[in-house]
This record gives sequence, structure tokens and C-alpha cells, in this order.
Amino acid sequence: MIESQAAICRIELPTHNEVQVVRRRFQGTEGPTVALVAGIRGDTPEGVRVLYEVTRLLRQLPSIAGCVDIYPCANPLASYAEVQRWPFFDVDLNRRFPGREHGHPPDRVAFELVRHVHEADVVIEVRGAYRAFRELCQAHVRQGGEVAAALAGQANVEVVWVRTPGSMAPTTFAAQFDNVLVLEGGAGNRLSEGVSEELTVGVMNVLASLGVVSEQAVPVHWAAIQRPRVVTDEEVLRVRTELGGVFMPSVEAGAIVARSDQLGTVVDPVHARVLQRVEAPVAGMVLAIREQPSVHPGSLVARVVADS
Amino acid sequence: MVEDIYTIEVPFRGTYRLQRLRFGRGSPRLVVVGGLHGNELNSVYALNLLASALRAQAPSGTVDLIPMANAFGIEEGRKLGPFDDQDLNHTFPGDPDGTAMQRVAHALFQASCGDVCVDLHSGSILVDEMPQVRLSAKGDELDLARAMGLPLVWRRQPRTGETAQLVDCWRAAGCQAFRVTGGRGATLDKAVGATIALGLRRLMGSMGMTRPPAPCPVLAEVTDEQVVVLRCGTGGFFVPEVSVGDHVTSGHLLGRVVAPVGGATLEEVRAPSTGIVVTSRLYPMVHAQELLLRLVVL
Repeated sequence: MIESQAAICRIELPTHNEVQVVRRRFQGTEGPTVALVAGIRGDTPEGVRVLYEVTRLLRQLPSIAGCVDIYPCANPLASYAEVQRWPFFDVDLNRRFPGREHGHPPDRVAFELVRHVHEADVVIEVRGAYRAFRELCQAHVRQGGEVAAALAGQANVEVVWVRTPGSMAPTTFAAQFDNVLVLEGGAGNRLSEGVSEELTVGVMNVLASLGVVSEQAVPVHWAAIQRPRVVTDEEVLRVRTELGGVFMPSVEAGAIVARSDQLGTVVDPVHARVLQRVEAPVAGMVLAIREQPSVHPGSLVARVVADS
Repeated sequence: MVEDIYTIEVPFRGTYRLQRLRFGRGSPRLVVVGGLHGNELNSVYALNLLASALRAQAPSGTVDLIPMANAFGIEEGRKLGPFDDQDLNHTFPGDPDGTAMQRVAHALFQASCGDVCVDLHSGSILVDEMPQVRLSAKGDELDLARAMGLPLVWRRQPRTGETAQLVDCWRAAGCQAFRVTGGRGATLDKAVGATIALGLRRLMGSMGMTRPPAPCPVLAEVTDEQVVVLRCGTGGFFVPEVSVGDHVTSGHLLGRVVAPVGGATLEEVRAPSTGIVVTSRLYPMVHAQELLLRLVVL
């Protein structure tokens, strides 16, 4: 197995400092190519940590069957600043795909990332939760993506969410590829205990299921791999606030709730009043709960997976 | 008459108000929206000038002005909205049961579908733009765009990956709609604001709503093929040698990219053909491949 490193895109800053978007390649014998991508947004460091752990595990192996391309951080400037968007241009890289060959730096990174990752048979994006939320470890796949859905079942997550693309989807990274799964979990803009371990096992187990690594390379016994529940958009209910205020959660991600159980309250902190009791719309499991407290009418505060 | 067309109570600080100024009644109905991007402020000035003219001469028909569509973004000096960093202009047609920004977008869209609809912008904070109408390459708004008499009319093909914006949603709803832009973000250019206000008065005149000011010919009416985009080959400190509106000939020195430390010339940018400068980079720190200038070739 040969490990190599290459810059897929070099960003020359106006000061003539240079920032590189790096690909680390583990080239083994005959087999599929798998691309692992993290850090498209700068405030989801959990994905960066997972790919760091996966890299360390791959280095311990004598060989692999195929090729693993690791893109440990697609948006280095935002990651350094710990912000979602590419600084200077203030753009969300995950709304710039497929990018432009001769555009500004975010567009060029998007273009080069797509150009390089297109070589892969399977693409896995790993990221932390959206910054306002704490989320269970979950995999997102596109409706109709049977290969990705089957692989997501091996990703050591609690839920596989088969999603119908929304109106913004065409400009996301994941929308550019056929066999793509997105692994997500933890909390926004921080590292959470246990999350990277779960997702690292998930990535290694997916590599094992593809035959790229052996079962022995997976850090846990196969019997300990979580068997996820597969859900569609209809089974994932979004809970929104009706009033603006400060949201105080009453439950944690993963909680089992009955219909009408309290998920949290919206309060007016200035006058010390409860404005709204936010209830579970169905019996089920809390997939995500809001941790950033300022909310407006219509703010998402929880996702609940309905009991089947 | 000022009216709230949508309000949201928000934590700590009170009420978000989406306000509309209405003049006249009946049809036809012209709607002009400004401030979708909270750091593009020439539209606020232009619509205040227009409101002043409408107070002096009531229109035949209805004129609705929404000068600060993204009022919170304007208060914070930010392009984006205060609700989860969403771009209001990427949220249309909105959703009455969606996020706060989707609700604002829905209310704004419902309140703004007139016979003719105009969305006012400035350039980004990085560039200065010639006052211009940008409209779809397809559609029958061209005569209205010409009637404004702004210096540039650009019939523009939609770019790959562009999502539905307010103008697209208006057009899908059967309105005649286009975008007007000019000047630079985060900067008040009074001449640009006055030019746009005058253009809107000519537009009202062409619709038979008010007595029109004297007409003004369009300087350039172009499609994408006539717009030359000049980018830098290297990053550095850009020193322009021309301004928006300048006529240049082939080979004319348009600017230099110099080393930020020491000032050594790294790149000279020259006009590839004869044309008019319609976009000029004003923020001097540039990355390689960034937009420096646009020329229209006549």
C-alpha cells in the first residue's frame, strides 16, 4: 500500500500566502476507489476528526484492496476561523457546487473537488451537526440511491434517512455524485465524546463491506455494529416554534417520547414568561434537538422520528 | 401610507417589521423592492427620492415601495438575514409554515406581485457597477427596461446552479419583472441612487402612471457575448487605472496587480478590445482568478 499526498487546489491569498486543499491517497491492490470528504463547512469539525482517526487506522494496515482518497478539510480557511462560511467572500461552500474552473477561490475549490472526487466509486461526506443542533449519528442518502442506502446500513449509525432532494440540493456537494452517503452527528462547531468513535467505526465498516479493508481492520466486532432504522422524509417530523424567544430544551437527542410530551419551552427571558410549550407531534425518537437558544417564529427546534 | 405587511417578534430586541409604502390605487400596479441584501443601500436612497416625487405627483394606478426588505440585515450591516444566516433572495417563494426567513419571503412575495416588479440592488461590497437593468435573456420586459433609460441593459442567461430568486418567482407568477443594480455595496453613491430613481420615474411614465421626465437613451444594450470579464492571474493588491463608465481602446491599461508589500508590479491588466467599463473592482486585495473588471464591447 502506498500513501501519498497531493494538493488538489492551491489558493494564493492576496498576501501571497498559500492555502492548499489536500488529498491523502492510500493506494492498494485492485479494488474500488472510495472518497472520504470532511470540512466543507468550517463549523463541523467532527468530520475532520473522523477522517484523522480513519487515516491513523489505515496507516496501521499492511494493505488494502482498492484506493481510499481522504480529503481531510475542503474549506481550510473557514475551519481555521471556526465559521460555517468561507471567509472574505462570505459564501457557503456547500452551496457553490459544481463550482467553476475559473471562478473565485471557493468556486475553484468546489470545481476541483468535484473533478477529483468523480474518480471515486463511492463517496462519503462526514460532518458534524448543523451548528444550532445536537444530533444522533445518522446517515443521509438520496431517494433512489440503492447502493448508498445499502452501504449506509453498514455505517454504524442509529438512523438512515432516505431524503428527497430539496430546492437547494443541486448546489450541494453530495448532489454531484451517484453513490454518495453523508454521515453526520454530534453538535455544531465542537467535538462530542463518542461521536467520532461511532462514525470512525462506521466508515471503517463501510470500507470493510466494500472489501477495501478486512473485517479485522474495523475497531469493533461485527456484532457490535449498530443496525440502523431506515426512515423516509414522511417519518421525520420537523418541530418548529411559533413564537420568537429563548428555546430551552427538555429532552436530549435520542430520547424516546410519547405524543404531546414536552420537548422544550420558548421563554421570554426579559419578562420571565413562558411563551410556548413545544410538544412532540408524534410518539417516537428525538433525532435532533436545538442547543442554540435564540429562536424566531418557524425556527426548527427538533426532529422526531415517528414510531413505525 | 406606511403599512406593516409582516411582523415577527424576536427575542431580546422587539419586532421585525416588513414595511410597504403605498401611493395611489387601482391598476396598473408597479412594485419596487429594495434591500433584499442588507448591505446594498443605494436602493434605500433611490426609493426615498422616488417617494418624494410620488408625494408631489400622485400616480394613476398603484405604486408600492418596499425599501428595506431585509430590515434586520440592514440594521446589522450584513448582506444576509438575521435568521440562521439565510440569503433572503434565495428563499423565494417562501413558505408560511417554514423558517422565519421563509415566512418573511412568503409574506414579501405575496405582497409584491404587481403588473410590473423591480428588484433593486447594489454591486457587492467589492465592486462598483454601472447603473443597469439585468433581465432574463427570454421574456418581453425589454421595452420596460429600455424605458428606464439607465446606461446599461444586460440580457443575461441564468447561470448553472442559480436558484430561484425573487425576480424568477415574480416572472413565474406572470408579472413582468427585472433586476436593477448600480454602485457598490455598503456605500451610498448619491448619483447612482438618483439615476435609478429617475429611471423608475421614466418607467412609471412609460406605464402611463405619471408624467414622465425627459427620456434618456440607453448607452449599451448587450447580451452575455458582449460582456468581457477580466480576472487577475495572480493575487495581490489591485490598483485600478479606470473607472466605471470609461471608454477604453484595445491595449488600454486598466489596472495593475502589485505586491501588497513593496508595490512591485505583478501583473498589468489591459483591455482586450475597445469597450466601456461597466464593473470595476474597488476593494483592492484580490485572489488569483477574482473579478477585476467587466467591459462591454459595442
